[in-house]
Amino acid sequence: MSLPAEHTRRILVVEDDPHLAAGVVENLRAEGYEVDSVADGSDALQWLAGKSCGLVLLDVMLPGRDGFTVCRTMRERGDNTPVLFLTARGDPADRVRGLEAGGDDYLAKPFHLRELLLRVRAILRRWDWYQSASAAGGAVLRFGGNEVDFRAFRARSWNGIEQELTEKEAMILKVLAQRPGEIISREDLLERVWGYDVFPSTRTVDNFILRLRKRFERDPADPRHFLTVWGVGYRFMIGDEP
Amino acid sequence: MKAPRVFQLTALALVLVSAVEVGWWLFDQHRFAVDKVREMHVIYGQQVAAAQALLDSGTSPARVQMLLPGIIVNGRRAALSANVDRRLLAEERRHIAQYLWEGSFFIIALAACIAVIARALRAEARVIEEQESFLALVSHQLKTPLASLQLSLETMAMRPLSPQQARALIERMLSDLGRMEGMVTQILESVRLDRGRVDLRHEPVDVAGAVGRVIAGFEERARKDRITITAEIERGLEIVADPLALDVILRNLLENALAAVAPVGGGTITFSGTRTDGEVRLSVRDSGVGFRPADAARLFQKFTRLHPGGGGSRFGTGLGLYIVGRLMQLAGGRASAKSDGVGRGATFTLAWPAASGPELARAVPNEGSGPTADDAPREHS
Repeated sequence: MSLPAEHTRRILVVEDDPHLAAGVVENLRAEGYEVDSVADGSDALQWLAGKSCGLVLLDVMLPGRDGFTVCRTMRERGDNTPVLFLTARGDPADRVRGLEAGGDDYLAKPFHLRELLLRVRAILRRWDWYQSASAAGGAVLRFGGNEVDFRAFRARSWNGIEQELTEKEAMILKVLAQRPGEIISREDLLERVWGYDVFPSTRTVDNFILRLRKRFERDPADPRHFLTVWGVGYRFMIGDEP
Repeated sequence: MKAPRVFQLTALALVLVSAVEVGWWLFDQHRFAVDKVREMHVIYGQQVAAAQALLDSGTSPARVQMLLPGIIVNGRRAALSANVDRRLLAEERRHIAQYLWEGSFFIIALAACIAVIARALRAEARVIEEQESFLALVSHQLKTPLASLQLSLETMAMRPLSPQQARALIERMLSDLGRMEGMVTQILESVRLDRGRVDLRHEPVDVAGAVGRVIAGFEERARKDRITITAEIERGLEIVADPLALDVILRNLLENALAAVAPVGGGTITFSGTRTDGEVRLSVRDSGVGFRPADAARLFQKFTRLHPGGGGSRFGTGLGLYIVGRLMQLAGGRASAKSDGVGRGATFTLAWPAASGPELARAVPNEGSGPTADDAPREHS
């Protein structure tokens, strides 16, 4: 398995337990990643304001600001860097809170080293794919009077309204736009965008498609671009389909 | 835990209904007494009318009074005897007073029952809340060193390591185990203080010796964290205390101070002991993270874990200072905390009533064995 591209290889570890932080940092470095580490939520936000990285490994219970707040603040700032939560609080309610705060994945302590490395690699690979796919040629998508800028996570819809896209919305749109007119299954979308069993069902994908329809369809109840293929998945049409 | 709660809630509901019923009974009895007297007035009114009719028909007043004893005749006029009127009024008052006394008694008894049940329910809710905090704390606090331990072991299994790297990992694992052991000890000590009756001994203890032994156990950790620990204790300063409890108190205070100083990159911790105003005072001053002055009182409560930013401390269980406060309370002393604010260090002070010469002489003589780090106050149920 190849390593992600250079620009996504840097990882920020935010963990207040010095032993755990040291263990994670050493292992990630041994895998060839460039790793920085901070022990405080506020320090993490300060670090992220000045530098960029391909992934943030974020503990939830942190001094300063907790992990959920850090992630939420990142998203509010328009920082879409993937976040993998590492926490001792592994119950489903906390998992949902983490994902609602804008997290990409969630790993409960104590975790297996191989699983951590696998998840890190998968998130970085997806992020790397998204960034490469959004480079120069594929940076902008135009359909039905809508215009999407994948690099800025911004869009202008057919009625002139400026939209801020979440990382997941942009990634789903990217997967669909790469194969216009083809049927893409929910499982395929889940695998390409989330990659792991983060969400319990493909229902999540349906919710994201509904959100995209509200943003970009003239009549979300009668979609022309994000078409449902019953029992299978979705088909994305660049032009207005009847 | 749920069945007794249902039972208590049902009992509370029954008692509340009973209280409402007693209130209604009181109101009803009052109404009944008033109605009864009113009815008697009506009956007597009819008798007065009948007496007047007899008088008007020529019956002699003596005959009328004999037939209707509650009626008095003045000349040819019949009227109700003043005695009867007074008797009816007295009867009404007596009944009302009787119901008021009986009703009040029942209402007070029921109110007492409601208070007892409500208190029990509140206490139970507090226990449940504490148990939930306890579980959350145990799971979080133990999982972190456990995760570190697992990570170190898996690293050793997965990667070729140099002897130095392996040694560093082993030291980290031993430290993680020590942290877990320390947490388990604190949790058990707090449970023992909560549930059992701790039997404290009263022996003369040399303060400087007790402090010195505890400091010695933490010297290596302090050196690693660039922390200097000093003790300025008056020569010959003694207190009457349980040496093992004192050891637990001092260890917890020193752990707390080390945890406060390490995050700021090192500093100082100073023990100072003096005898003032009939008290022996022992202070532990640190140059650590400090706390908001308003949080001083909360520090000795169970599960309080303060951090300048409001989060939890790095390794704390939130039980160490609770144990200190509880043991000092049991020993008849007190513990207090003071800080000028976040980032400005803190001072924790222990105060015992000073033992007089005769008290020291009466106290059970020290058997010469100093407390060991693993000992804890003895418990008997």
